[in-house]
Amino acid sequence: MHQTFRQSMTWLHTWFGLVIGFILIVVFFFGALSVFDREIDRWAQPATRFAPQPMPSFDHLLRPVFERITEPDPDAVELARSMVDGPLPEKYPVMDWSAYTTHRDPVLDTYVSFDVPNARNPDDHVHGHQTIDPRTGAQLSAGDLKIGSEFFYPLHYSLHLEWMELGYWIVGFAALSMLAALVSGVVIHRKIFRELFTFRPQKQRQRVTLDLHNLTGVVALPFHFFFAFTGLVIFAGIYFPVSETQLHPLVEAHEQAEAAATGLPHDPAGVTAPLASVDAMVSDARRRWAARGMGGDVGFLFVNHVGDANGYVSIYRAGTDRIALTGQGIHYKASTGALIREDPPETAIASVNEFLTGLHLQHFRHWLLRFLYLFGGLAGCVCIATGFLFFVEKRKQQHARDGVAGARIVDALAIATITGTLIATLSMLVANRLLPEHLADRDEWQRNVFWLTWLASGIHAFWRTSVVQEGESAPAWREQTILVAALALTAPILNWLTTGDHLLATLQANYWPVAGIDLFLLATSVTAGLVAHRLRRPALAHTTLAAMKS
Amino acid sequence: MNSSAATVFPRRLVVTLSRIAAAVLGGYLFVWGLVALTIAGLANLGMDYDQAWMLAMLLAFLVYLVVFIWAFAARRLGLVWIVLLGGGAAMTAGAQFFVGG
Repeated sequence: MHQTFRQSMTWLHTWFGLVIGFILIVVFFFGALSVFDREIDRWAQPATRFAPQPMPSFDHLLRPVFERITEPDPDAVELARSMVDGPLPEKYPVMDWSAYTTHRDPVLDTYVSFDVPNARNPDDHVHGHQTIDPRTGAQLSAGDLKIGSEFFYPLHYSLHLEWMELGYWIVGFAALSMLAALVSGVVIHRKIFRELFTFRPQKQRQRVTLDLHNLTGVVALPFHFFFAFTGLVIFAGIYFPVSETQLHPLVEAHEQAEAAATGLPHDPAGVTAPLASVDAMVSDARRRWAARGMGGDVGFLFVNHVGDANGYVSIYRAGTDRIALTGQGIHYKASTGALIREDPPETAIASVNEFLTGLHLQHFRHWLLRFLYLFGGLAGCVCIATGFLFFVEKRKQQHARDGVAGARIVDALAIATITGTLIATLSMLVANRLLPEHLADRDEWQRNVFWLTWLASGIHAFWRTSVVQEGESAPAWREQTILVAALALTAPILNWLTTGDHLLATLQANYWPVAGIDLFLLATSVTAGLVAHRLRRPALAHTTLAAMKS
Repeated sequence: MNSSAATVFPRRLVVTLSRIAAAVLGGYLFVWGLVALTIAGLANLGMDYDQAWMLAMLLAFLVYLVVFIWAFAARRLGLVWIVLLGGGAAMTAGAQFFVGG
């Protein structure tokens, strides 16, 4: 459609970058926040502000927890509706129990999967889960939303659009477009190396915007490429569901062969059997890891075919000091505690896969890298945001002359996805501290505050960008930035007033999860304040100009 | 002049939409075929299914990116469609041969 390769790449970069950028910036921003999801959870759940805990005793503490999870979660029951023709089953038989923890988790997530007896697809199952205090086994209130790991993190990869996994597909398409935007961006800019060192804040706004766009794009280019690519690999099974469709016959055969080779039964026997001491199996697994020169904690514990003679227990080592999330699995017969199998070392392909996805998810301990991820993600946001601004600055005079609304619409959408996202995020944190502790559906209220404030800032953005159609700068930018500054200051103050954990106290106690979030909020407030101050100038210049004209 | 402008504009639009569709949908079908054939073929040669799956998925998105870019860069859009649809269908059929459907 264009004469040269560069022209076609410019078209691809401009238009895909623009349209997909509104999604990408959300994915980047909440991805950056997800790097500290556990810490955001602690900020939002004052009752869980204690030190990370190891996997607790199964026999004394976990088993009663699993046994009290007798039904799928309410949203899982909703999901089951789409799996069956006709009425929902009366009872959901328990299939397996599992628990996962990392070196940053004071609380423990416990899961039970249930069979859906009359499901169209016999492989379908649904989950029930409880978050517990691993010191006591007490369940944390279901209305106590883990804002970091249960809201911001899934928003990062699914946009919370669960219907038909639509959100995953949108994010996947955005990630592919991101890769294409990076490649086409490199093609457009021939002087890549020079752009690493080019930033001329004294130049006119359009030039500065482009400098910053190129700088943040090029500096973090390997980072952006890596995260978009590995994000796609992580959800490859959703994007190319060959195993569930075309290749399903091969999978069935493979699973039977694998069960025979490993001695780990694929199906229950249908005969009830007791469960031996899992704590004894855990001790044995720890001894075996120590014998390999790699002690460590249990990261993932899995009881398959619960209560059945074919049941087995799998114990995986936490990947605190490894890239992989968990590893070195050891499997025991559930009824006797006899060793069935130790997983062999990973193959080359599996190691590459674990390395790529593990590096994206970063459940291992490396705080410097964690901060690099945060700033890499924010650099991605700056890159996309300046892309929007460049689009608007380049076209708004022309669009004003032609009477076209294009630049205004892009400006409004940019405001809604830049300052609007910040407002929604900060409002949610403020609501988290203001809503009464025992409010029914407290989690739902927090979610609603997020979506409604986002919607409101979008409406405000469209309303207060009308002057862009006359070639002026929109006042919505400054107004929303002031709100960001105010909310980011309010949140840590509310944290202090409602929990007593003010910054001096948390810093003195070296309690970084909450101190870090408070510091970041205050830094956001100061930055937004400075930006709002600076945004006064163009408006002043404009009034002076108008005065001179008259 | 009016009539020529009216015919030129929709044609450009159609070509652009066709290119986007070729990149997104044609590319998807092509990669589906590649993934299915790689897994089924390697599994048939004796490689473990999960290993073949992982290898195919590591390649899938890099190949998707290449054909995606190519769909926009290529001079002849017809060729892009033929390669992506034809190649995708052929590889999907090849995978089906190994599945034994």
